[in-house]
Amino acid sequence: MLLEVKQLNAGHGFLQILWDVSIQIDVGEYVCIVGPNGAGKSTTLKTIAGLINPISGQVLFKGEPIDGIGGHKVTRKGIAFTSEEMNLFTNMSVQENLLMGAYILDDKALIKRRMTYVYEFFPRLAERRSQLAGTMSGGERKMLAIGRALMSDPDLLLVDEPSFGLAPQLTTTVFESLDKLVQEGLTILLVEQNVTKTLAVTDRGYVLENGRITLKGKSSELACDPHVRKVFLGV
Amino acid sequence: MPERFLSWLKSAAGITILLTIFLAAYATIDRGPYILVNTAITGGMLALVAIGLALLLGVMNVASFVHGEYFMIGTLAAYYVFTPLNAYLTENPNPFLTNLAPLIAILSAAVVGAAAGALTEVLVFAPMRRRSRENWVMNSFLLTVGLAVVLINAHLLIFGADFKGIVRYWPGRPFTIMDVFISRDRFFAFLISIVVIIAFWLFMKMTRTGRAIRAVSQDETGSLMVGINLTGILIFTMALGCSLAAVAGASLLFLYPSYPTVGLEALYMAWFIVILVGLGNIIGALTGGFMVALLKVLTVEYIGSGWDFVVPTALIIIVLIFKPSGIFGSEVRGALEK
Repeated sequence: MLLEVKQLNAGHGFLQILWDVSIQIDVGEYVCIVGPNGAGKSTTLKTIAGLINPISGQVLFKGEPIDGIGGHKVTRKGIAFTSEEMNLFTNMSVQENLLMGAYILDDKALIKRRMTYVYEFFPRLAERRSQLAGTMSGGERKMLAIGRALMSDPDLLLVDEPSFGLAPQLTTTVFESLDKLVQEGLTILLVEQNVTKTLAVTDRGYVLENGRITLKGKSSELACDPHVRKVFLGV
Repeated sequence: MPERFLSWLKSAAGITILLTIFLAAYATIDRGPYILVNTAITGGMLALVAIGLALLLGVMNVASFVHGEYFMIGTLAAYYVFTPLNAYLTENPNPFLTNLAPLIAILSAAVVGAAAGALTEVLVFAPMRRRSRENWVMNSFLLTVGLAVVLINAHLLIFGADFKGIVRYWPGRPFTIMDVFISRDRFFAFLISIVVIIAFWLFMKMTRTGRAIRAVSQDETGSLMVGINLTGILIFTMALGCSLAAVAGASLLFLYPSYPTVGLEALYMAWFIVILVGLGNIIGALTGGFMVALLKVLTVEYIGSGWDFVVPTALIIIVLIFKPSGIFGSEVRGALEK
């Protein structure tokens, strides 16, 4: 088991958002969390990434507890997080942003290898390497956010709303690159509003409603589930 | 490139820099090259204090009104290191050590300043940040004002109110540049400010920690996500900013003897600069240092020495009315490149 979230309760300040959320992810799996707006999907990812301290419950990564150790230490354990707002360093060049992504790596040769890998993966970024991140288009910034997360050579990639604010065609491109990463052996936990598309590409899924996991199972089965079809797909 | 250069010339920053160069050239022809020399020396030191202030604003979001007290701590540290060294050297002359002693004093001031800055972050800002980040800008500002009062009175209590000064750092005849006599102390003060500024620039651009400081100034959550230890970076930034002010204080000990409120003038001048160029902008603080220095020198030269606070203040009021984000200001956030 790569990641194990046990009975997680978390929230912002006094407002509790997550209630007894449990998630398990194995190495190499492509797992998604789907749910309506405000269900707590982003809060789940932020808590796993260490940006929010849980009220109770446990997050185990490779068997070690990582809840409450702080965001920067979670990254060092091997979890990379791409947030919805992307949190890029807007006044740094693409190259510098990627270098920052490799902040936790000490091996210069490894940083170079990761850089080549990311530039091969997103050739668009290589063309723009000296451009400031803040001046790029939404799709390019999304690529940069994923590229920066990949720079740290993570074992688990958390992706929050990759389609947010993107044109449908660009969304397809981003989904294709995530697919390719899974085929290369990376484990991904994806959070998305675009339920049809997400359930079509992922292996397994969790349905989060009002801060509680209401359904879980194979993505193909979830896509046929009457409840899911009624709530999300409107049929 | 020429087009970009032209459009830059037409921006507020370009116009101001051109105007500054023109003014400097005119005054130099009119009154003599000592205007330039004085501007360079004052500007270098003002820039050091202002860069530290801009760093704290850009990275930690702290509007520091205690920054002048690190200048004061710098003068104090340099005085207590240099005076015994100098006394020893008068009894046992040693030309090599005589030239080295001022550097030792300034270096120890840098270390003491950095330690004071780090302590301030650990003991004052960190506990407040843990409590709540609500209303942070106002609360941290008030905290710095209080801290300034405490430090000034601590100086008064422990070291007394008298002037603790030195006659000179470097003995020997003054240098002559462009028919102007420059005392060795002034010359070396300028040299130190230039070296420190260049070193600081390279550090911010080339090193991993420097990049991390810039990253924190641009996006705090993003820097946590890439694995930057925020606590460490904040302590380091505070130490760095305060150390720059201490170096400025120590280098100018021959001009400003150490006394409780010696840092106030440096603080006000640094704030003039930072408001003039835009909050938290380091490149701007560097150029602004020399602009305000020129303004001061010209005011003293043409209007009278009592007016050197009035003219910059008036200018700031005008800037705040017409371009509230400062002449280098823009919407983008970041400590080194705004």
